[in-house]
Amino acid sequence: MKSTAINLRDLVILIADPSPYIGMLTQSMLRGFGATKVLDVRSSLGVMRTLTGQKVDILLCDARLPPHGGLNLTHAIRRNTSNENRTMPILVMCGDTQISTVKNARDVGANMVIAKPMSPSSLYDRLTWIAFNPRKFVDTATYFGPDRRFKIEGYPNGVGRRAGDKAVEIAEESGPALAQSEIDNLLNLARGG
Amino acid sequence: MSRKRDARIFDVDTNFQQKARRPGGITKQTAIERAQAEIDQCRPEFTDWLGRELQALHVAIRQAEENSGAPSLIDQVSYHARQLRDIGSTMGYDLVTYVADNLCDILDTTRAGARYDKDIVDCHLGALALATQTQYKNLRPDQLPELSQGLRRVYEHLKSRQEKFDLADLSDGTTCAPDYN
Repeated sequence: MKSTAINLRDLVILIADPSPYIGMLTQSMLRGFGATKVLDVRSSLGVMRTLTGQKVDILLCDARLPPHGGLNLTHAIRRNTSNENRTMPILVMCGDTQISTVKNARDVGANMVIAKPMSPSSLYDRLTWIAFNPRKFVDTATYFGPDRRFKIEGYPNGVGRRAGDKAVEIAEESGPALAQSEIDNLLNLARGG
Repeated sequence: MSRKRDARIFDVDTNFQQKARRPGGITKQTAIERAQAEIDQCRPEFTDWLGRELQALHVAIRQAEENSGAPSLIDQVSYHARQLRDIGSTMGYDLVTYVADNLCDILDTTRAGARYDKDIVDCHLGALALATQTQYKNLRPDQLPELSQGLRRVYEHLKSRQEKFDLADLSDGTTCAPDYN
């Protein structure tokens, strides 16, 4: 990732974690990053109350946030068409880094996942990634959230599903293929400089 | 009924993204130094917090044992174990995180249907008590391979026993899928 400097001054950051101590530690890190407006709640109900009362710029929520779980909360925020915070960045904090948890977080519309225990470095990296690498949003019947294809790994099964996906064209074979001895000669030349 | 419809794909430049990119930001190195200084201010009270949390874990475990491992009480034990796991390394107690993480995995196995094993849980309580002692608290798991690998083997053994149980269970046509959310 290119070198970037993040400016969190005056941004409203909401931390949602059942543990007061983790909330306090996360606040400490964010203060170190220059954040000046950090809110802290313990439940998804607290998140919903905060979101109805004010604009929040980014949400950091625990995957197991009681009573509904942070993933259900993320899903609810993304699916609520009347919620002005619908597109805000959501960073899910997970104690377990099982691939299924990360996939589930992605599929409910989380921008990113961060593993606990968090370090200042890992938190800073994720915040800068979200800030400096904005992703398009995708709205379908079954998903609303940041484009999940932000790692370029090719189309699923090699086939594009979106109208804008271009077919991958492979040129017709022309001329005879190189013989093994010719390939070896080329490699030898390359190795010899 | 078909749920298929065209995807709408659009750009979103949120307030967070606009403002976080303003000039005057803090570079990573400076941000980390300042964050670490803030965390260091929490350090004196961390030892007290750790002691209280270990005590709470002990109490939750005893309550769970007295009630034959009732799921809600196992959840309470899990909560305290997760707290230790999720904070330990941030405060420099890598061994606490390692042992608590192993305990979390074991409790997850119990919630998935494995038999609650008092000896295994007590063994982790002992390891946690050790991990908070002055001479051990700053060690990493790889510096105590006998302890760390031994605990992991206990978990692997429990897990393999559970998987055998699950296969036998499935052959009966019954399942016991846990719901973690």
